Amino acid sequence: MPSEDKPRIQVLQGTLDLIVLRTLTTIGPQHAYGIASRLQQVSEDLLNLNQGTLYPALVRLEQQGWIKGTWGKTESNREAKFYAITRAGEKALKSETERWRRLSGLVDKLLLEES
Amino acid sequence: MAALRRFALKILSLVSRGRQERDLDREIAAHLALMADDFELRGMTRADAQLAARRAYGGVDQAKELHRDERSFPWVEQTWQDVRHAGRALARTPAFTLVAIATLALGIGVNTTLFTAYNALALKPLPVSKPQEVVRIKRWFDTGARGDIQFAFSTGEFAHIRERCSGFSSVVATSWPLTVVGERETFTGQVVSANYFTDLGVTARIGRTFLPDEDRAPGANPVIVLSFPFWQTRYSGDPRIIGGLIKIAGTSFTIIGVTPESFTGTFVYPQVPNFWAPLSMQAQLQPGNDWQRSPGNYRLQLLARLKPDVTRSGAQAEVDTLVRQLTATPEARDKTEAVTLTRTSFVADSDDPRFRAFVAALMLIVGMVLMVACANLANMLLARGAARQREIGVRLALGASRGRVVAHLLTESVLLALAGGTAGVILSIWTSRLLWIELARLLAIAGPGILLSMNLNPDYRVFAYAILLSLATGVLFGLTPALQSVRPDLITSLKQEGTPLGQRLGRSKLRGLLVSAQVAVSMILLVFAGFLTRGLVRAQSVDTGLQSKNLFLLFAEYDRDPAKAATRERLLLEQLRSLPQVRSAATGGVPMMGTWTPQMIAGDRRGRTLGSYASSHYFESTGIPLVRGRDFLAQETNLAPLQAGAGVHGSSRAAAERAAIVSESAARMFWPGQDPIGKQFQLDMDFRGSLADFEVVGVAKDVRFANLTRVDPSHVYLAGYTAGTTAILLQVEGDHASALKAIRKAIETFDPALLANVNLLALEDGPLRLQRSMASAFGMFAVILAALALTLAGVGIYGVMTYLVTQRAKEVGIRMALGASQAGVLNAVVVRGLRPVFSGIAIGAVIAGALSSALHTTLAFPGSIDLLYGVPFYDPATFLGLAGFLAMVAAAASFAPARRAMRVDPIEALRHE
Repeated sequence: MPSEDKPRIQVLQGTLDLIVLRTLTTIGPQHAYGIASRLQQVSEDLLNLNQGTLYPALVRLEQQGWIKGTWGKTESNREAKFYAITRAGEKALKSETERWRRLSGLVDKLLLEES
Repeated sequence: MAALRRFALKILSLVSRGRQERDLDREIAAHLALMADDFELRGMTRADAQLAARRAYGGVDQAKELHRDERSFPWVEQTWQDVRHAGRALARTPAFTLVAIATLALGIGVNTTLFTAYNALALKPLPVSKPQEVVRIKRWFDTGARGDIQFAFSTGEFAHIRERCSGFSSVVATSWPLTVVGERETFTGQVVSANYFTDLGVTARIGRTFLPDEDRAPGANPVIVLSFPFWQTRYSGDPRIIGGLIKIAGTSFTIIGVTPESFTGTFVYPQVPNFWAPLSMQAQLQPGNDWQRSPGNYRLQLLARLKPDVTRSGAQAEVDTLVRQLTATPEARDKTEAVTLTRTSFVADSDDPRFRAFVAALMLIVGMVLMVACANLANMLLARGAARQREIGVRLALGASRGRVVAHLLTESVLLALAGGTAGVILSIWTSRLLWIELARLLAIAGPGILLSMNLNPDYRVFAYAILLSLATGVLFGLTPALQSVRPDLITSLKQEGTPLGQRLGRSKLRGLLVSAQVAVSMILLVFAGFLTRGLVRAQSVDTGLQSKNLFLLFAEYDRDPAKAATRERLLLEQLRSLPQVRSAATGGVPMMGTWTPQMIAGDRRGRTLGSYASSHYFESTGIPLVRGRDFLAQETNLAPLQAGAGVHGSSRAAAERAAIVSESAARMFWPGQDPIGKQFQLDMDFRGSLADFEVVGVAKDVRFANLTRVDPSHVYLAGYTAGTTAILLQVEGDHASALKAIRKAIETFDPALLANVNLLALEDGPLRLQRSMASAFGMFAVILAALALTLAGVGIYGVMTYLVTQRAKEVGIRMALGASQAGVLNAVVVRGLRPVFSGIAIGAVIAGALSSALHTTLAFPGSIDLLYGVPFYDPATFLGLAGFLAMVAAAASFAPARRAMRVDPIEALRHE
């Protein structure tokens, strides 16, 4: 959305999965709206995330067996699908985080050398 | 692991689509509700909060779409959508759909039928267990000789390979089919090694097969296994036959088992014998002809099973050395150059270039029929595409990509093609059965006791072929119309239909081209059908020039030694001549059964000629009239046999020239305008330049000797005898049955053992009937194909004309309103519409003429068959007649549309403008 007051960041392809996994380990089982709100909050509204864009990531993670969704009730007694990270998901998170660190380290290094 | 799991779940999603959709709806609703709750908490009214939640969420449908794309394979759903849509579109126009499916069914059906036959002959493995391990042993001669002799091995070679070849887990042997004499009838049987059934993995349907040692002691195990078809026809499938006895050639054989129905034999030709007996019983089946006593007897075909860890090339190298060790002995007539192992299928020689050329030619012909069908459909789809231009324009305008629209249209044509293919396969199952019956009838003429054994049931190869063919067809006839349809720019197609006067030129050109092509193909097929049917008619009535009515042929195996055999044959001939029922008898070349075409040199003229041997009285016996000179004398023909390459060398010529009688055409060819009597000539006896000298003593009338299709272009009859290619020819008197009886009796008194090895048949019944039946089979085949092509072309022309008239109704209305006459309209619309038909006829005639003259060049070879029975290849009657006929069909096909064009009511047509 170009007519916003703050310049927002587009989520890098493939990193959304990592972010969602990480969020779920931090705050525990959460529904899609909860995840989206949390992301917005943490990123201080910097992240340009249409709430609908979360769904492909959720279905992907669930099909890979890294998260598992179950229907439950919220505090306000509304029904919602709560996603929880699985053991395979925790393992994947670890290796994916590792990979991300290496990648971003490499990019940082290259950027430093260039400037 | 995660990727695999995801793939599996994606596939699962395809089927649990409904549940997943409901789940998604629920989740999004929950999401929105939660968000709205939050907004409400911040002080909005419920209604505002809900709206705000929607805004924050973004497009719900886009989100769902993203979810779907991620959840499953989107193209599957798209294709499924296309298929359903195409199905509905086709169901809306049932006439078009039915015609299209019928057209395709014919085209694909014909092709699948041919493939079914080819598959059964050359692709299906033999009916044995683990056929991929089984190989056929084949030898290659230094003379380059090809044919089934390449599969013939001696008992010695069989034992040698069986004992020494380490690459095989087993080697089995089976003989050529033997004709043996029962008490009242003759049977065909094959003698096989005792391990034949067990090692090939064939278990008896009832009873048992041979025990491992049942082929050891000669004559000790009179047991036979019956083939399924024989058991069915002769014993009506009675299981109590096991243990019963059959008397064959004086020995009682016990029936021990019946092979299963699926076992159709392993012979190089698709035929199954009546029974199998152990190898050791050969002498009992054929008294007086014991293979054990003639080791140089090449009567066995060998099949071997490779050990699991041995490759075919490895075993081949080994067996190659083994066989060549043996055949390096001087007694072997033809040197074996190499031995190869081939995969097993019915036609063992499926690599033979002649077989391949034959199959390719047939494929080409039936392929042409399919091409006509495709052209038809492409045309129909073009017309349909034009009618749907608006619909396509709307879809494009709404944002469908061209690729998507093309895919959609292609789906429609592929769906049509698959439906046509299915109908085609059903059609081909029927036609294969018919073909089978026809073939069996032909073979029954060729020789009694030959049971055709082919499994024509379609297997996965046939289905794969039909599906691939249908898909290819669908794309072939669908792609161009589909691409054409998405080409128009949006603006014109969204306006009222695009005016008829502004029709795109490209499309009508393409349509004309397609009509031309299918008319041309129909013309080619028609011309050949015309030629072949004229040949067929001639074949039934043609006169050989021989006195064939009472001519009998007697083949027998007198002895392995050619010299002894010749003596015995002459002795028998003398006996037969004394019979009152035999007017005349002689030995010599057999009409209609194989040819020898040596190079002939007479002075400075040389050329190929037909050649055959003859004894004295040969011309009397065959009824070939001698026009000049004299017959052969008895002493001239009693010379030692002339064998190819033996005793006739260019350097050391025999002292006296042998006598020869030449045909009138040979006389004209080699001594034009001269008296041939007393002239001398030379023949290349073995195709390698071993010349022999001859002197002409007489001239015989031209006859059809080599085959029924043509008068021999040149024929020389040589005085003498050669082993293998001659028979006793008998001109009998009185009724045939009593004559045959007398002849059989004479043979029995001459040598009772010989009777079992004798084959006596009438020329009319055997070779002549076979050739006539072949001619009618070819003719029928050609007529059916031509009728098919003609029907398809007729339908195509009708479709195009109808379309043209409908499209141009407005234009015709305007013309009529402006005063055009009906004749003028007819000329403008119909005659011009028929132009591609005329150019198609012309193109087809030219191609047919070229093909026909190419076919005629093969007639330069004196022994070749003239399928047209002497109809000249440029025959104007055939060409003009068929061109006229095709034009009439085109005119008939455009009659109804033309009438409609002339009846266009100007007011009605213009009202829409």
